[in-house]
Amino acid sequence: MGEQAQLLPGTLDLLILKAVSLGPLHGYGVLLRIEQISGKALLVEQGALYPALFRLVRQGLLKASWGTSENNRRAKFYELTAAGKKRLRQEQEDWQRLAAAMSSVLAAEPGEV
Amino acid sequence: MGWITHLKSAVTNILGRGRVENDMQEELQRHIESRVEDLQRSGVTRDEATRRARIEFGSVEQFKEECREERGGFWLETFGSDVRFGLRMLRKTPGFTAIAILTIALGIGANTAVFSAMNTVLLRSLPLPHPEQLVHLTLPNDQPWGASNTGDGDTSFSEPVFEALRKEKTVFSGLMAYVPLSESKAAVRWDEEPEEAEVDMVSGDFFTGLGAHFVRGHGFSMQDEVNHAPVAVLSYAYWTGRLARNPSTIGRTIYVKGVPFTVIGVAGDGFFGMEPGFSTDVWVPLQSRTDLNPWGNSPTVNTLYGSPKWWCLRLIGRLQPGVTKTEAMTKLDPVFQQTALIGLGTLDPKAPKPMLALADAKGIEGADSIYDQPIKILMAMVGLVLAIACGNVAMLLLARNAAREREFTLRITLGAGRRRILAQLLTESFLLVAGGGLLGWLFARLSSEALSAWAGMEVPFPLDANVLLFTGTISVACAVVFGIAPIRAATRIPSGLGVKAASTAGTATNKGRWAGRLVIAGQMALCLMLLVGAGLLVRSLRQYETLPLGLRADGVLVFGTSPLNAHTDKQKELFYQTLLARMRTLPGVESATVVENRPGSGWSNNDIFAIDGAVPNGSFKDVGMRANDVGPDFFHVLGVPILRGRDISEADCQGHRRVALVNETFVKRFFPNGDALGHAVGGEKPENSSTIIGVAGDSKYTSVGEKPKPMVYFNYSTGGSISDMHVELHTNGDPESLIPSVRMVLRELDPNLPMQKPMTQRAQFDESYSQARLFARLAMFFGLIAVLLVSTGLYGTLAYRVSKRTPEIGLRMAMGAQRMQVLWMVLRESLIMSAVAVAVGLPSAFGGALLMRSMLFGVMPGDWRSFAIALAGILMVVLAASMIPARRAASVDPMVALRYE
Repeated sequence: MGEQAQLLPGTLDLLILKAVSLGPLHGYGVLLRIEQISGKALLVEQGALYPALFRLVRQGLLKASWGTSENNRRAKFYELTAAGKKRLRQEQEDWQRLAAAMSSVLAAEPGEV
Repeated sequence: MGWITHLKSAVTNILGRGRVENDMQEELQRHIESRVEDLQRSGVTRDEATRRARIEFGSVEQFKEECREERGGFWLETFGSDVRFGLRMLRKTPGFTAIAILTIALGIGANTAVFSAMNTVLLRSLPLPHPEQLVHLTLPNDQPWGASNTGDGDTSFSEPVFEALRKEKTVFSGLMAYVPLSESKAAVRWDEEPEEAEVDMVSGDFFTGLGAHFVRGHGFSMQDEVNHAPVAVLSYAYWTGRLARNPSTIGRTIYVKGVPFTVIGVAGDGFFGMEPGFSTDVWVPLQSRTDLNPWGNSPTVNTLYGSPKWWCLRLIGRLQPGVTKTEAMTKLDPVFQQTALIGLGTLDPKAPKPMLALADAKGIEGADSIYDQPIKILMAMVGLVLAIACGNVAMLLLARNAAREREFTLRITLGAGRRRILAQLLTESFLLVAGGGLLGWLFARLSSEALSAWAGMEVPFPLDANVLLFTGTISVACAVVFGIAPIRAATRIPSGLGVKAASTAGTATNKGRWAGRLVIAGQMALCLMLLVGAGLLVRSLRQYETLPLGLRADGVLVFGTSPLNAHTDKQKELFYQTLLARMRTLPGVESATVVENRPGSGWSNNDIFAIDGAVPNGSFKDVGMRANDVGPDFFHVLGVPILRGRDISEADCQGHRRVALVNETFVKRFFPNGDALGHAVGGEKPENSSTIIGVAGDSKYTSVGEKPKPMVYFNYSTGGSISDMHVELHTNGDPESLIPSVRMVLRELDPNLPMQKPMTQRAQFDESYSQARLFARLAMFFGLIAVLLVSTGLYGTLAYRVSKRTPEIGLRMAMGAQRMQVLWMVLRESLIMSAVAVAVGLPSAFGGALLMRSMLFGVMPGDWRSFAIALAGILMVVLAASMIPARRAASVDPMVALRYE
């Protein structure tokens, strides 16, 4: 069961921040949204989501509050704090720079060197 | 943002722990429920959906644990629960816990107690404000040649030097002088009964300059010094011990040597004055009266204000803020060099130049030279004891953790992190050390008083911040040592999920066994060192105890007197004649005499006397002599054999005949070929010298440990001045039973006259090597602890191994091994360990013995007897501790052992 969760270190936090940035979510909702926006390409180990959420709350990037879910159940909702928004922007830029660099490296052809 | 959020989250988590746990439980539960619903919607049955949701989610408990770790305050919370868990585990094994804590406490307690002594004697600053500004004035070259001196040669100054130096206001904010009123204790009286007290005369700014506090009243003023005012300050300890802290003491009259003083103050608790190792009871301003002369000296020889060449005052200065000792010296030295000559004229150019020096006022002045080395050696000894104790506890922990392997495996399988288990084990070690440290502190509290009394110090060894820091440091060191044991245990826990039953045999790896053997061998080596040290010290003590004194110390009572109403020599002589006559009539007294310096008390007169009018050539070391002024029948009373000639008689004393006796060493040194009888000894002029009428055998003078020196005994009535004399009474009964009747006689002669320090001569000589006795006893005690620790440690380890190896032994015996072979198998292991220990320990012990050479008396560092006894001791310990487990191994019944497997 370990292979599914082989996300790059740190990417889970970024995924969560991005998912929550689109609107407050409860834990299961975060999971669904990541699946949805990644086109099910990224599968998150379900249990591992929660330690990450707790960590982000402790770091002050997310705040949590109890509310009512779409099917009228009590659920804990997560939303971004100001610091969370700032961090997301930053991480997004970093990631895009890295991704661009990686793809240009990987796109290199023998003739171009 | 960071730490405030962390803190807030930590606080909420700790305070609302139950709520947070429930929330977390609910949140995860909701997740799984939602997943189940989604799966059901996609057409899966409810049971199947529940099963799948759970599998997809993974181990709920494991993620909960990870969540707990992620949220704040985790370490605090888990520390709390670890402590609770640790306490529960330790309670479950009370025997182990008690032994471990006691062992640690013994090690830490002994170290703390000895360190508190070291702290008091060598390190501690005086309990006064800004102690770093306080300096003792010392004379590295002693007082100038030709000066007259009382007190220690390197710490006593003359009155003119004091007056000149105290004027240096840019250097000192205060320069204080202090001097005892008597060589021992002075006669004081509150009511009818005369008693003794430690009385110091001090300069007017003594208390203000030192910054001493007062619990009642106040101290002296400069005016009190100028007027030599009849006022007195008491120490807190004396006020407590003698006057039961009576608040109406202020204003009361205390008679010091018969002179009335009014009590004006009580100094604060913890201020014992400046006398090295002694607690001053009463302070009075410097006095000019001749009957209150410093050191109880006869005013016909020296007076405080009338004898500029008498060096008798001790000085302590408070430097101006910011003035360094070097700056102070550049200003003080010219003044000192000039005033040092007052009363002496010119200096002998060949004599060593007088030198002034400033020493930090730390520890006990003057005590560092005596106690420095012994205390360091004691520290080393208790350090060894602590190392052995730590070894034992570490072995205990290792064995205990090895036995708990099954528990650890189970807990890891249930989702506990390896780090959590390690943290719990470390917490257990920490709890043991904390318990041991606390108990050790208690031990130290109890023993430091005993230690101070044993050391003959009147000042207690307080457990202050220094000592607390020291104890804390060694406790942390212990905790680190014991931390290693759990780390080993935690890393040895097998990984994998199956709960494997801990096997009964062969769990101890080879590597673990080697570490254990090394620890035990190390302990034995340390124990050997301690035993050799103890052996050497005990043999030194035996030397002291059995050394012939050259006199009869048993059956002789000695006490000091200071005739307060006798001022002239005539009056004193009459007083002592009357006293001796009365003493001789007391029932039980066989004979009586007087002597100036009490034998065995450390006091002596040292001088170079002319022989037949000529001063012998040579340095003081070569031709220096000792002298004592003695009364009639001295040699008879003290049982010193007279080899030739005769004793000093009553008629000699009453007739002021200038007669003297010399000892054998004197004759050997100065009359190697001829007879000393009839020759003159004393001053260069015939009228100042005495005729030698007898030769006495060598006898101990200052202490048991001294080497024989040329010695002259003068007739006490011809010395030019009669000091306060000690009275010696020989009795055939118990000397101390004479004390009440003697006291009565003294009171009849003078109501102010106490019996000063009455004791038997034997006890007085015993006192002269009290330090050797103290160290021998302590070393024996430490040796005993070491033997106990090593034997219990060895026994415990071997017994544990044998019980682990029972099946193996059973198998061996079933295969035909003989009982003797099994016995030998166990014994061999201990013998190999002790062989290694001896190989390492013997050279180390010899090195240690060389370091403590200065503490040995009549014993060489390589004394083979001490080494042989120590070796025999170690061997006995090893055999005794191994025999029981070895015999148990040999008596294993193969059938039972195999069935057990």
